[in-house]
Amino acid sequence: MNINATLLAQAIVMIVFVAICWRYIYPPILSVMQEREKKISDGLEAAKKADDSLEEAQLAFDQELDKAKAEAAELIDKANQRASQIVGDAKGKAQDEAEKILASASKTIENETNKAKEELKLQMSEIIIDTTQKILDQEISTEKHDDLLKKAAAEL
Amino acid sequence: MAKDVMTTESYINHHLTNLTCGKTPEGWTCDPYKVDQMGFWAFHVDSLFWSVFLGALFILIFKSAMPKNISANSAPTGMQNFVEMCIEFVEDNVQSLFGSVKNTLIAPLALTVFVWILLMNLMDLVPVDFLPVLAGHIAYAVAGSGADGSGVAWITSPDSFYFKVVPTTDPNITLGMAFAVFILTIYYSIKVKGLKSFIAELTLHPFGKYLIPVNFVLEMVNFIAKPISLGLRLFGNLYAGEMIFILIALMLFFSSIPVGMLGFGLHLVWALFHILIVALQAFIFMALTIAYLAMAHETEEH
Repeated sequence: MNINATLLAQAIVMIVFVAICWRYIYPPILSVMQEREKKISDGLEAAKKADDSLEEAQLAFDQELDKAKAEAAELIDKANQRASQIVGDAKGKAQDEAEKILASASKTIENETNKAKEELKLQMSEIIIDTTQKILDQEISTEKHDDLLKKAAAEL
Repeated sequence: MAKDVMTTESYINHHLTNLTCGKTPEGWTCDPYKVDQMGFWAFHVDSLFWSVFLGALFILIFKSAMPKNISANSAPTGMQNFVEMCIEFVEDNVQSLFGSVKNTLIAPLALTVFVWILLMNLMDLVPVDFLPVLAGHIAYAVAGSGADGSGVAWITSPDSFYFKVVPTTDPNITLGMAFAVFILTIYYSIKVKGLKSFIAELTLHPFGKYLIPVNFVLEMVNFIAKPISLGLRLFGNLYAGEMIFILIALMLFFSSIPVGMLGFGLHLVWALFHILIVALQAFIFMALTIAYLAMAHETEEH
């Protein structure tokens, strides 16, 4: 257990090993580790960014969807309005037409009725004159009393 | 001792003696009986062998763990995960102790110190007799001295070949590493603060410029104590652990069967506990290395 030159030899051996480690062993391993560390942190950051942009895209997508839905609803509303307007218009027209037809029909009926009444009056007055002639025994001639007859017919 | 019957004392001694090679007046030798003649210029060949072997293993593992055509795109697999985990652990520690100061040497230094010491400490978990006995038999088979005088004279039996396995139980190894850290501390102190303020730091505190000698002695003790405590802490912990393994092994070899069985259980328990010490001491050495170098980079005024 003497102290001898072993001590110096060991000191030199140690310096040699440390030098080898310093020059050839440590730096390449450390650089690989640092590079990988950087890569991993870069990757994580990129993933975070991608996550963020995905969220943004999702948000934009939702907004667009909402907008499209609103537009569609508006369109449907408009279409419904238009449809009901068309139906209303058509109804109005049909009603007008019907009323017109009704009116012309009732006019025709009135005319016919008046005509018939006219005719009936004339026939009635003839019948009355005939009957009255017969009753008065030719006292009253048709020629003489034409004015009177016409007045009577107008009064009927 | 070699051919004698093994005693408790010789067993312990065998486990605590390094294979020492050095220069004697007759030339270079590894004869354990001539260690006294070697003086300072002797080397613990076993400690250095395991130290270099495990250091090379560390370099090899960390080099081969990264695939050749590596890129940041591929997910890490297998050993690469383990290697990156180690580096992340070291980076965290350096970050917390070193803060904003940028020095690319600190983290590789800390990584080397941590993994290397961890590997060296882990050798403590190999059963105490396994590798020394194996090495002894190999050495005896390869270079043992025969009756005809061939081979190496002092390897008279497998037992005469000493082979300590755990480098961190050798104070030369731990103090050697602490010494290397110490040199780096001085280098960076001078580089970052400049020689003048480094000397000023050692001489002008705590009593001001009229008591420079006193200041210097006090600061020097403080300064020298750091590497010595750093090396001795690791050595002490591992040496004690190794010692307890040896003592438990004694229960197996030198006592009755019931005590031997108890020894098995104790060995397991101590090995499990020792894993904690192995990792903890490696971590402490690393943390203190970083801390001392961080101090060398501090330029604050006292």
